[in-house]
Formats: sequence, C-alpha cells, structure tokens
Amino acid sequence: MIKKILIANRGEIAVRVIRACKELEIATVAVHSTADNESMHVRLADESICIGSQKAQDSYLNIPSLISAIEITGADAVHPGYGFLSENYKFAEILEQHKVKFIGPSSELIRKMGDKIEAKKIAKSLGLPIVSGSETGIKDISEAIKISKQIGFPILIKAAGGGGGKGMRIVHSEDKLEENIKIAQTEAKKFFNNEEVFIEKFFENPRHIEVQILSDGKDNTVHLGERDCSVQRRYQKIIEESPCPVISDEQRKYLLDVSVNAISKLGYEGAGTLEFIYDKGKFYFLEMNTRLQVEHPVTEEVTGIDLVKRQIEIASTGKLSLQQKDITFFGHAIECRINAEDPSKDFLPSAGTIKTYNQPSGPGTRVDSCVFQGCKIPPYYDSLVAKLICHGKDRTSAISRLKRSLDEFVIEGVSSTIDLHKKILRNEDFISSKYDVNWLSKTKFY
Amino acid sequence: MKIDKKIIKELSDYLDEFNLTEIEYSENNVKYKVSKSNKGIVHEQIISNDNQSRPSSTATTITSENINKANIIKSPMVGTAYLAPEPGAKPFVTVGANIKKGQTIIIIEAMKTMNHVPSTKDGVVKKILVTDGEAVEFDQDLILVE
Repeated sequence: MIKKILIANRGEIAVRVIRACKELEIATVAVHSTADNESMHVRLADESICIGSQKAQDSYLNIPSLISAIEITGADAVHPGYGFLSENYKFAEILEQHKVKFIGPSSELIRKMGDKIEAKKIAKSLGLPIVSGSETGIKDISEAIKISKQIGFPILIKAAGGGGGKGMRIVHSEDKLEENIKIAQTEAKKFFNNEEVFIEKFFENPRHIEVQILSDGKDNTVHLGERDCSVQRRYQKIIEESPCPVISDEQRKYLLDVSVNAISKLGYEGAGTLEFIYDKGKFYFLEMNTRLQVEHPVTEEVTGIDLVKRQIEIASTGKLSLQQKDITFFGHAIECRINAEDPSKDFLPSAGTIKTYNQPSGPGTRVDSCVFQGCKIPPYYDSLVAKLICHGKDRTSAISRLKRSLDEFVIEGVSSTIDLHKKILRNEDFISSKYDVNWLSKTKFY
Repeated sequence: MKIDKKIIKELSDYLDEFNLTEIEYSENNVKYKVSKSNKGIVHEQIISNDNQSRPSSTATTITSENINKANIIKSPMVGTAYLAPEPGAKPFVTVGANIKKGQTIIIIEAMKTMNHVPSTKDGVVKKILVTDGEAVEFDQDLILVE
C-alpha cells in the first residue's frame, strides 16, 4: 500500500493530486522551484522540498533532484501530473529500478506510445482505426512521393518524437514535398533530437475527440466516456466537454468499444487517453496520452468518479475495483481553461501578481485552481491558472451555468481568458456545436 | 547632481524589513526607486522633469546619461529575454544596426511560448539594455534607438 506520495508537478494539478491524497489519508510531498516557494501546492502538502531554481530544467524537469527529494522524504510513490516528466520514460524507468512506484503505466509503454510511429503500429495491431500514410519513417523522397500520391494531397509531415504541433508541416502539392521534408527533419532533430519524420493524410477541419480509459493492466479495462476537445488555439485545448455533442449513440458505442478492446490487450496500468481525429463521420487514432489529462474533471463530473483516486488505487493495489457496469453517465459537463493570457492580443502571456481574486461557486460549479489573492503568477511555466467546470442536466444548462459562473469570476492584476470564454459561450456556432479544431482561430472575437 | 547614498541604503533596508520588492520615494524633486530583481538589488534613480527620466536598465548600476524615454523600446511582458533566435546564432540586433518598425529585436520566453518582440520604431540601435537570458519585467527598457 502506498503511504506517501511525492507530486512531481506544480500548479493546479499538484493541488488536485494533493486533494485526492488527503481524502485517502495518504501523506503528500510537494516539490517546488525557487519561483514557487509560496505556491498553493507547497502550502497544502504535508511536506515540501525545494528542488531547484526557477528554470523548469533545473527543478521540475531535474530528475536527480527529484530522486534526492524522494530519498530524503521517504516517499514510496510519485504522481507525475501532466506535462513536465509525466511522459518521460527515463524518469519512470529510474523509479522502477529504485522500487518507487510511478503512478502510471510501465516505462516501456510510455516509451512506445511516445514514439508516434511506434504508437501507430501498436494502435493498428490492436484494431484501432488509424490515419492513412507511411507506417515507418520516411527514408527517401521517392518513397514520400509515392505515399503522398496514394493518400492524396494535402498531407501532413510529422516528427516521430514530436508533440505540441512542433515539427509538423502541411504540404499541398508534390513540388513542395522535398523541401518540406528537409525542413521537418531539421526541426525534428532540433526539437526532439530525432530526425525521423512520417507522412499522414491531412484533415482540413476535423474535430478532436478522446476516450478516457482506466485499466489495471490485467483483466479489467473500462472507459469513462469521451470528451470533445475541438475548441483549440495553437494546438492547445481551451474548452472541453463531455459527452461529445455531435456523434450518434451508435458512433459513440463503436468508439468506446474499440478503445476498451484495444487497451485491454495492451497490459496498460492506470489512467490513459486515446485521442482521435473525427472527420466526416469517421474516427482515426491520433495518439495515446499515458497520463492524467488537464480536462479530466469533465469526465469526473458526468461519471461521479474520482480519476486521481482510481489512479492511486491501481498503483497501490494493482487492481481496479470499478466495473464497467457500475459506471453511469449523467448530464453534460464543460470545462473552460482560465489562462493568464490576453486573448485580445493574440494570447500574449500575462505573468504578474493577482491583485483581486473571486472564484465562482454555487450549484454545478467546480473550480480546480492554484491561485489566490496576492499570489504571483511566474512567467516560467504554463499559463493555466484555473479550470472552471460546470455540470448540468444537459448541454444547455451546463452552458447557462458557465455563463453565470464566468460572471462571478474575477481576476485582476493579470489578463485572463475569462472574457474570451464569455464570448465563446454566446457564439451561435458554439451553442449549436458547429465547431472544429480550426474554428477558434478563424473566428473573430476581438 | 549628487546621489544621496544614505537614502538608497535606507530604502534598501526597508525592502528587506518589510519584504517588499520595490519602493519609491520623492524628495526635493528627486525621485528614488529601489527595487529587487533576481540579480540582487537594483538601485535606480529617476529624475522626474519634462518627460525626461533616467532609466537604469542593467541591474545594480546607476546610469547617469540622459535618455529620452521616447527612444526606448520596452518589454511588453515579463519573461526571459533572448537576443538571438537560438543559442549561438546571430543576434536579432546589434549596436549600430538600422532597424525597422515591426522587425523582431528580441524574443521573450514566457509561459512556455517564445514571443517575438517587434521594434516600435525605425532607427539606429544605440544600446542594448538587457543581456541574453536575463529575466525582464513588464515595461522594462530593452533597447535604446535613435
């Protein structure tokens, strides 16, 4: 049984994990950089330890420092949250070697799923629908031309080790192919230290739909429904909702069944998310996130299941006591990400001190946050400061609650995306669910 | 004009005593501003008359030259300043270079994004007031242009 968990993260997700631990009466260790001495996660944890300077490379990404912190505090498990080292297989591997439980899947599966070409191969072998394109890295230009012609332009060049939109290039015609492959390889080498790139069919205006999975890696794998995360800016989600408002019950059943079936054959332990592109009525596997997602609360609201506690249960006992038949879905939940950014200035980051803070509350309103009046938002990390999640009996009532809650939400001292969310929730396209991954950037709000 | 070191010393002590990051004090038309940056304590003296003031931009020094604020390009955000697109690469601007409005002069890394800071005016770079990798604040002076 796990007795003490070190949370290798900061911000709202560190607070979220501490909350689950406290309710389970598990001791917590917060780690922090010098920029986070007075952060909420440090204040809430039973113990805290400074692991380095403000630069993430020196603190939250500093594996030797983290290992020392684990040794000093005697933590027997690590929750990686999302981002930082959550999908770093080397970190998971070192913990495995030192008999410290990494709350998540094995380092081997993290490594395989982190390599996009490998992940696609695995997905195909597990029976998941995949995007047509090259199944290995591109070796020469003649091969690239052949594949591109087969699948038809436009095509997308992606880095095997990529993520976050980096190293991706869209090519509309054959004459631009060679030049773009070279650029993509150079970028991939620079960003990910792996120049391998591959080709996929490019979808002009798809939706992004994902499936939440819990599995004990043995004989119990369940889904907790899907989320639609198509409202994005710069490949980053800003609004997520569950259930997806545009797919039929039949499509949903197919998507959830195919996902559970695939993961049940993988020996995957913990919470995970299968991301899909949805285009013209069809799903295509995009990637698997081998960790907790930012948007996990919308799933928690419609199922009433605490995903972090389930992660800890699986890590602690090796079993998942939850059965698919016990999971029921009620109503609709939507999350608005409140970032310290100025949406009227192309999402310009806005670090600083929060001078006034009022957090919404009331029926159906949940806020996962790490900020308080007077706290500093440092410029060194992610801009996410709070997540507002509203739940209602249906989508319309969830939207009404969000609008009401956003009116109560006050953040002064730094810019935030609160005002943008107020505009999105009143936009006809959003209200009628007519949006795709490019919708937000194409729609003028300011 | 003579700088009263005693006042600066006293203000610096207050910073620590009251756990402040910045303090401003005016006396006989002279304004003293003392603030802490991650490089230690910045002693900055500003003379307030006719839009002319003396920014000191490099921490821990007191500049004495008169600089017209209108010729300074300031930071639009807090973050880490980089003078070149990547380590070892040619810097965006050098002293003596002609720059055009809209041209990238510096990158500021903030909240995991690299933000290109454009020049707000045409001119010749007189002085670069930040160093590569330095933490900069909102409204901090970046480049002096003439």
